[in-house]
Formats: sequence, structure tokens, C-alpha cells
Amino acid sequence: MKKWAMIAVSTLIAWAVWGFFGTKSDESEIEKLVLTGSSTIAPLAAEIGKRFESLHRNVRVDVQTGGSSRGVSDARAGLADIGMASRALKDDEKDLLQFTVALDGISVILNKANPVEALSKQQIIDIYTGKITSWKQVGGNDAPITVVNKAEGRSTLELFLHHFGLKNTEVKPHVIIGDNQQGIKTVVGNPDAIGYVSVGTAEYEASQGAAIKLLPLEGIAASVENVRNRSFPLSRPLNLVTRSEPVGLAKDFIEFAGSPQVNDLIEAQYFVPVPR
Amino acid sequence: MTKNVLATGLIWLMAALVSGVFVWLLSDILIHGLPQLSWAFLAEAPENSGRSGGIGPIIVSTLLILLVAMVTAAPLGLATAVLLSEFTRYDSIFGRLVRRSLDVLAGVPSIVFGLFGNAFFCIYLGLGFSILSGGLTLACMVLPILIRTAEEGLQAAPNDYRLAAAALGMPRSAALVHLLLPSAAPALLAGLMLGVGRAMAETAALIFTSGYVDRLPNSLLDSGRALSVHIYDLSMNVAGGDANAYSSALVLILLLFIINTIAMSLAKQWLYRRVVSI
Repeated sequence: MKKWAMIAVSTLIAWAVWGFFGTKSDESEIEKLVLTGSSTIAPLAAEIGKRFESLHRNVRVDVQTGGSSRGVSDARAGLADIGMASRALKDDEKDLLQFTVALDGISVILNKANPVEALSKQQIIDIYTGKITSWKQVGGNDAPITVVNKAEGRSTLELFLHHFGLKNTEVKPHVIIGDNQQGIKTVVGNPDAIGYVSVGTAEYEASQGAAIKLLPLEGIAASVENVRNRSFPLSRPLNLVTRSEPVGLAKDFIEFAGSPQVNDLIEAQYFVPVPR
Repeated sequence: MTKNVLATGLIWLMAALVSGVFVWLLSDILIHGLPQLSWAFLAEAPENSGRSGGIGPIIVSTLLILLVAMVTAAPLGLATAVLLSEFTRYDSIFGRLVRRSLDVLAGVPSIVFGLFGNAFFCIYLGLGFSILSGGLTLACMVLPILIRTAEEGLQAAPNDYRLAAAALGMPRSAALVHLLLPSAAPALLAGLMLGVGRAMAETAALIFTSGYVDRLPNSLLDSGRALSVHIYDLSMNVAGGDANAYSSALVLILLLFIINTIAMSLAKQWLYRRVVSI
């Protein structure tokens, strides 16, 4: 028994030590770039960072989260080389520079079998707050509406609530979902459901034959194209923020993050690349 | 009589409910997490924000953070517990003050430790987002648990030991090392395990101190993502990361289980050698 315990302990320690010293390289030449801020952008920035590292030897890109406001304040205080903010800079933050890396849009989706073709802003608000409970009230079938909402903590939820001026406590959901795929599956499986997901995912899935349709918002079709040309109302920019005109490594990174070389990474996170 | 049956039934029901929750939780994680689990998953680096690839660097970071936390907290905690239990009177003002502050500290939410760690270790001491900052923050967090359990373990040692040692003319330090500490070993280990458990489960305190970087750390001054932070990020922030979040949760539970088993068997050995075989 004791022997086994000793073997197990030493294996664990050896593993940690191997990880610690195994890949030791020359520290002195390594340049570090620190990004902090929005947790929505962080996974994308980390992936862009990995590709940037593979192209530039001796560069390390460290991505930390904490929210958009933190990204802005860290960039301003110089704690981070680059801040990340999943919104446009506010008026009192205009002393900073912003570089849009990608766009994020949200589309309201219905099942393809649902005859309703469009909903007004007020109708969507009434459906989500439980004032409208049947599709008949908005010109559809005589069937109860299944309201699909996002789980707490999702940036899609925040953007949706912000756009419609709702609080999460006011929403009366029947189904709560996590990611985009789950939202699409729920609406595909229920002809009377209404949900909202990232435009990029919804458009891709609809083109692959999923039984959903993307509702236009304020008369503007929900499409990646309209998110890209910024006419779609329910969208936001994903920005990198700096204190002053970026130089050196930060400049290289921002240029790289804005180049077509990272478009596949942006799309893998269900965001929309900005036109270059 | 019916009253008795009712009470017994109720108690059984409660116990079944508690174990039911545990079984449900574990089977949920096993069902969703086991299919993706493989040696490659344990060794490879995460890809595509953790949706694919493995968690190799994250396990290394987690163990390093844990190592820093325990190497710092264990001696400090043990020394404080010995001071409280053996070298001060229980009702002295000093002892009461220390105990009260430890109890308050034990109830502080972990996010507060995270903000403190970020302000003190990362920014004030200039350690930045690093495994060292994370480990030291966790050390502060587990100290109260370590000290209180160790102190209780020492106090539970029979007073006869102390009297007999004194009668034999043993120095207090020798009595401590040869009699009291070994007899309190199970309690010390239990405290250590509670600390390890709390440290491994910690997300809020680590996201602001040891950070988010999922690369294999080169030194203790590098940022490294802990398993719990990875699970949080995958399930809350990365669309399509749920499957790997489950597997990571399974790995976290397995790690805790392994560490627990090893510690318990070591404690048994130590106790046996020190006390029973003399």
C-alpha cells in the first residue's frame, strides 16, 4: 500500500516538474503581450494569439478576462498592452483608440413551419415578457408560444436584453438553453418555439437545411451580410482598445487580428469578420 | 409506534435524498464526460478555445498552483495551530483574537480573496497574472481551514501524552514531534484535504490571479489556467464547449479522489509507525 502511494505521489510530482522544466526556453528573448477584458472576445483573442505566436518566435500573447469595462480601464492604466471590449467605446472613453476585429449579431429564429414572417419590436418584447402567449395574437396558428431564452451569463442574452430594454427577471421563458447549437435544435424540434441565436450560426445552420427561419428586425433581414455592413440593429462590434497609437508588437498584433488571416478563427467562434 | 416508523422512514428518505443527489451528479458527469476522456485528452493542449484538443497544460498549471498553495499554507498553518494549541492558554486574549479572525477569514467569499490577491500579489508585489499569485492567494484562502482543523486535532490528543512526556523529562518540542503531531496526523491530513478540495474547486479567486492563459507554463511567474477556470470558461463562455467541460469536470473529480486516497493511506502509515509500533 505504501509503495503504491509513494509511486503515485512521485508520478504526480514528476509530471508537474516535467511540465515545469520540460519546455524551458531562453526567457531573456521572449517578448510578452498582455490583453485583458471582455470574456466574449477572450477565447477568440487567445486563438488569434496562438496563431500569432506560431508566426513570431519569442513572442508570447497572454490573454486575461474580466469584462469589457476592465479591458478599457486596464488599457487606460497601462496594465494591459491591449484591452478587449465587446461594445463600442462610450463617450467618456474616447481618449482611447478602438480597432474592430469582428462583429457579433443576434437573430430571432422561428421554426420553418411557423407562418409568422415578421414581428415588431413591441411584439417580441410582449412575447418574452409573457403578455402574448399564443401565435394567434400575432397572426399565426392557434398555438401556445414556447419562449426559448439563453442561460444567465451568456453575452447573447445581455445583447438581446439590452436591445429590447428588458431585464432577465422580466423574461418568462419556457426553455433555457446554453449555446447556439442547442437553441437551434430546440426551435427545430418545436414548431411553436421562438428563440434567438448568433446570426452567423443561424445562417449557416439554415443553409445546411435546419428547419429554422431568421426573422427580420425593424425591416432589416438578419444576415451575416447586414451584420457586416452594420445595418442590422441587433449587433455589436468586438473591439481591441489601446491607450495611444499602437507601436511595435501591439501594432503587429492588431494588424494581424484585423487581417483576413484570422477570418477562419473568427468564424469558428460564430462571429462575423469585418470587411477588409 | 407509528410515530417511530414515520421518523425512521423520514430519516432514511433524507439520507437517500442526499446520496441520490450525489449519484445523480456523478452519473451525469460520467455519462457526458467519459466518452471524450482519453490519454490524448489528458496530454494534449486545448485547441479551438477548448472545444477540441485536451487539457494537458491545464492539469500541469492546476497541480503547480496547488503545490504553491500547499507548500506555503501547510507550514504556516501547522505552526500557528501548534502555537494556539500547545503554547498559549485556550482562553488567552491573543488566542481568542487569532481564532476569531480565522473564523471571519474562513467565511469570506472567494471572490474577495480573488480581488485581494489581484490587488496585492499581482499589482502591488508585481507578480502579475501568475501561478505564484494564484497559489499564494489560495494559500491565504485555505489557511483558516488548515489552522482550525489542525488545532482541533492537536487538542484531541489525550492530555496523558503531555503529562507522561513531562514526567519523563522530554522537551516539549520532542513531545510535539514524537507524540502529539503523529496522534493528530489524521486530523492534520483531513484539514489538508479540505484545503486541497477547496483550492481545486476554486474559480473566482483564480480567474483574477493565475489567469486565463492555457499554454504550458514555463515558470511560476507565467499565467496558467486552472481546471476549474477552464470548466467555467467552456460551459459559460465558449459555445459548443459543453462536452469538454464535462470531461474536464470528470478529470477534476478523479484528481481530487486520487490525492485524497494517497493522503489517507499516508496518514495511516505515519500514524502506525509513530504511535502504535513504539
